Amino acid sequence: MRALSAPTVLGEPIDRVDGPLKVTGAAPYPSDIAYPDLVHAVLVQSTIGAGTMTAIHAEAAEAASGVLAVITYQNAPALAPAPMTGLGPSLPLPFRDNRVFHHGQHVAIVVAQTQEQAVAAARLLEIDYVQEAAVLGLDNPRAEVLHNPWQADLRRGDPAAALASAEVVVDETYTIAAETNNPLGLFATVASWEGDRLTVHDSTQWPVMERQTLATVFDIPESAVRVLSPYLGGGFGAGLRVYPHVILTALAARVVGRPVKLVLARPQMFTSVGHRPETQQRMKLGALQDGRLVAIDHGCTSALGIEGTNFGRVTVVTPPSYDCPNVATHDHQVRLNIPNPGYMRGPGKTEGNFALESALDELSYKLRIDPIELRLRNFAHVHPQSGLPWSSNALQECYRVGAERFGWSKRSPEIGSMREGHWLIGYGMAGVTFELYQPPCEVRVSIHRDGSAYVRSAATDIGTGTYTIAAQLAAELLGLEVGQVHVEIGDSDLPTAPQSGGSGLATSLGGAIVDAAGNLLRAFLKTVADDDRSPLQGMTAEGVAVTNGRIAAIEDSSVGETYFDILERHKLDELSAGGEYNPSAGAPGIAGPAAFAARFAEVHIDPELGLLRIARFVTVVDGGRILNAKTARSQIIGATVMGIGMTLLEETVIDSATGRIANATFGDYLIPVNADVPVLDVVFVGKPDELSPVGSKGLGEIGTVGVSAAIANAVYHATGRRIRTLPITIDKLL
Amino acid sequence: MRTIPSDEVTVVLHVNGRARQLQLDSRVTLLDALRDHLDLVGTKKGCDQGACGACTVLLDGKRVLSCLRLAAQCDGREVMTIEGLARDGRLHPLQEAFIRHDGFQCGYCTPGQIMSAVALLEEGRATSDEEIREFMSGNLCRCGAYPNIAAAIREVAALRRK
Repeated sequence: MRALSAPTVLGEPIDRVDGPLKVTGAAPYPSDIAYPDLVHAVLVQSTIGAGTMTAIHAEAAEAASGVLAVITYQNAPALAPAPMTGLGPSLPLPFRDNRVFHHGQHVAIVVAQTQEQAVAAARLLEIDYVQEAAVLGLDNPRAEVLHNPWQADLRRGDPAAALASAEVVVDETYTIAAETNNPLGLFATVASWEGDRLTVHDSTQWPVMERQTLATVFDIPESAVRVLSPYLGGGFGAGLRVYPHVILTALAARVVGRPVKLVLARPQMFTSVGHRPETQQRMKLGALQDGRLVAIDHGCTSALGIEGTNFGRVTVVTPPSYDCPNVATHDHQVRLNIPNPGYMRGPGKTEGNFALESALDELSYKLRIDPIELRLRNFAHVHPQSGLPWSSNALQECYRVGAERFGWSKRSPEIGSMREGHWLIGYGMAGVTFELYQPPCEVRVSIHRDGSAYVRSAATDIGTGTYTIAAQLAAELLGLEVGQVHVEIGDSDLPTAPQSGGSGLATSLGGAIVDAAGNLLRAFLKTVADDDRSPLQGMTAEGVAVTNGRIAAIEDSSVGETYFDILERHKLDELSAGGEYNPSAGAPGIAGPAAFAARFAEVHIDPELGLLRIARFVTVVDGGRILNAKTARSQIIGATVMGIGMTLLEETVIDSATGRIANATFGDYLIPVNADVPVLDVVFVGKPDELSPVGSKGLGEIGTVGVSAAIANAVYHATGRRIRTLPITIDKLL
Repeated sequence: MRTIPSDEVTVVLHVNGRARQLQLDSRVTLLDALRDHLDLVGTKKGCDQGACGACTVLLDGKRVLSCLRLAAQCDGREVMTIEGLARDGRLHPLQEAFIRHDGFQCGYCTPGQIMSAVALLEEGRATSDEEIREFMSGNLCRCGAYPNIAAAIREVAALRRK
C-alpha cells in the first residue's frame, strides 16, 4: 500500500499531542487517582541491613486513629510464586518470612482512612531485630560472586595472546558509583478489587507484564486484572519490573476490602524501585603503533542484592563497537545487602561505554593519534562479531558532522594547552555503538464515521512521546490529520505491547501500526469489493493511495471515495484492523539494528578551586528515521542531562557499615538543575533503517551513553588528570 | 502508649479565585489539601521535602512550595494553582510556550515549572538566560527538559518586555 497525507507529517517537529493536558495539570498520573472509598497505605521499612525480625509490636499502630490494617509477614495472606517475565525471573515476593536482606526492605504496610493517619500510625510500629553484619562493598571477601551470570560472556580470537604481543597496551580500572533513577513522579499504586477482579493504576512502564505478574501471585486469570498507566511521572527503567510495593498495595486492598493508594516517599524511591548498580570495570586494550586494535579484554563486576536478579550486561558494549579481531568479555555480579539494583536508562551500556571510550582516549595519547582518527582506524565496516553487514551505520558521519559543528579542528592536542583566563579548557569526545532491543508489539487501528481514527495498544508514554509519534504515523499512513487520530495506550486491556524500555517501543509499535494501517485499508477495500456503487470496487491496496481521508486510485486520483462515504453507505460506525510486528524474526544476513552517536564536550576547569563547568556539548546521532524532530531532540537532550548528572553529581551513598542509603533525598542526592545545563547541540544523521518498517532505530537511551567518557576525556585534555571514577567531583580535580 | 494528635482545624482557602472552606486534620499540608480535599491534583508531589519544586503554587502571588506549608497556615490567603492559570479556556502564554518549545517530557514537574515561571516573570528575574536558569533551578526536571524550559520562558519574557 502507499498512503500519503499532504503535507507529510511523519518526522515533522509537531507539538506533543498530550501537551495541553500536561501544561494544565489535567493529565492523570497514578497518584492522582481517587475512589470515593479510597484509603491510604504507608510502608514501614527495615532499619537494619541484614538479620531477622524477632518481634513486631503492632498494637499501638493498630489502635491508632483511623487505622484499618497493619500487615506484616506474620499476618499477610499467602501469595502464589511469581512468574518468569520477559525480563527474567520476577523479584522475590515480599513478606515471606522474618529475614531482612537490606536496609529499607519493606517489613509492614499500614492502611488508614487518611494519609496523615497512616503516616502517624506507621511511626508507632516497633520491630525487634537480631542484626547481622551486612555484606557490603564490591570487594567484600564474604560476598557471593556470580560469574558469567547470564551465560553471555563472549570471546572471539585469542585476546590473551594478542594482548601479550600488542605494541601498546592500556590496562585500567574504571568505577562508577551507584545511581538512583529518581523520576520526579513518586511511584504510586492504586489498587481496587471487585470480587476477584483487580484494577491497578500504577507507575509502570509495562502494563502487560504487570498484569501477568499480579494475576499469577494472586492466582486469578489475567483477564481479571487490569493495569492502567496512561501517564507516569518518568521511569527511566524504574517501572520495568513489578516491585514489591505494587503487590503489597493490591494485597492491602484485598485485606481491607477497599481501594488502597500507596505513594512512595522520596527516600523510599531509593530503596524500592531499583537503581543503577555500582560497577568496577577492568579494560585492557592492545594496539599496534598505527592505532589498529588487536585485542580488547573487558571485565565488569556489578553489585546485586542478596536474593534478586538483575539483567544488566555491562561488557555488552564492547564486541560490536570496533573492528578488533580478538575480544573477550566477562561479567560478574556480587551479592550484597543492598536494595536490588534494576534498570536505569541505558543500563550496562552506559557504564560499559565509559570504560571503553575512556580507554580509547588513553590509547590515543599513548599513540599520539587524534581520538577521532583512532576511532576511524578501527571503524567496524561490518558487524565485528558476526561479520554481517549493518542494517545501517552512519557512525563515521556522526564523527565528521560532530567534529565540524564542535570545531574539533581548533583543538590543540597538547594537555593543558588551551586556556581562557585562569580557566583550563578541554575538548573531549566519545563514540557510541548501541545495539537495540526490539520486542514484538500489537495494535488495533480504527476509523470512525465522524472521521476520527483510534490507535490502541497497551504501550506507555513515559515522556518519550509515544502518543505523538503514534498519532503522526497513523495520520501519515491513513491519510488523515494528526488531530483526527486519538491514541489510547497505558491500559493492559488493549492489544499486547512491550515495555517502554530498551529503546525499542517506538520501532515496535510503529511496525505494528504500519501493519494495522495496511490491514485497515484492505478492510475498506474488502467492504466495497462487491459494491457496485463504489468507484474503488475491485481495487487492491497496492493500487490506491489515501489523502485527506479519501482512498483513490494511484493511476487516476479522480477515481476514489472517502472513508466516510464507505462507512455511511454500508451503515458502519467504524472499521477496525489489528496489526503486529515481530522483529525477532530478524533478517538473515543482516546485523543490527544499532544506533550510533558521537559526543563532544568542552569543559572549563578552575585548577585552583577544582570547579568543572561544561561549556557546551554536541551530539550527533544516527537513530535511523526520526519520527518527530522535536520530541527526538528532547530525548537526546534529556538523556544528556542525565548523563551529566551521572558524570558530575550523582552517587547513591550506601553506608559501608549499615547498608543504609545516606543521601536518600533530593537535598542530598544531587541531580542536575537548570543552571547546570549548558548549550546542548543535537543533530541527527543517517537514513531509515532497512530492518524496520518505519525505519526508526530507537532513541530513548543512547543520549545517556558516551556523555561520561566525552567529559572525562575533556577533563584529561584540560588538566592531564585521568579520572576513572565517577562522579567527577571537585576533590578529584584538586 | 504514645497518642496521636489529630486535632481538626477549619480553614478557608481562596483557591483560583474561589473561597473553599475545609475541615482538616491539622497535619494536612497545603499540597495535600489541594490534592486530597479539593480534587486539584494538577499540583504534584515530587519529594514532600521542599527540594524538588513540583508542588509550586502561588500564595498571595508569590511562589511557594505547597508541601512545606500546612493548610492551616494559609487560612484566608489566595492560592493559585495550575488549574487556575488558563482563562476562559485560553492557555496562559507560558503554557503555550511550554508546549511549543517542548518544555516537558513526562509532564510531572510541569505544573510546578509553569507556576514558578509565572512568578519569575512577576519578579522581573527573567532578563537573561543566566537569570532564567538560575532562578528556575529550584524546579527539578528529571527528564532534562531544562534547555526547552528556559527557551519557553525566554520567549514569553521577551514578549512581555515589548
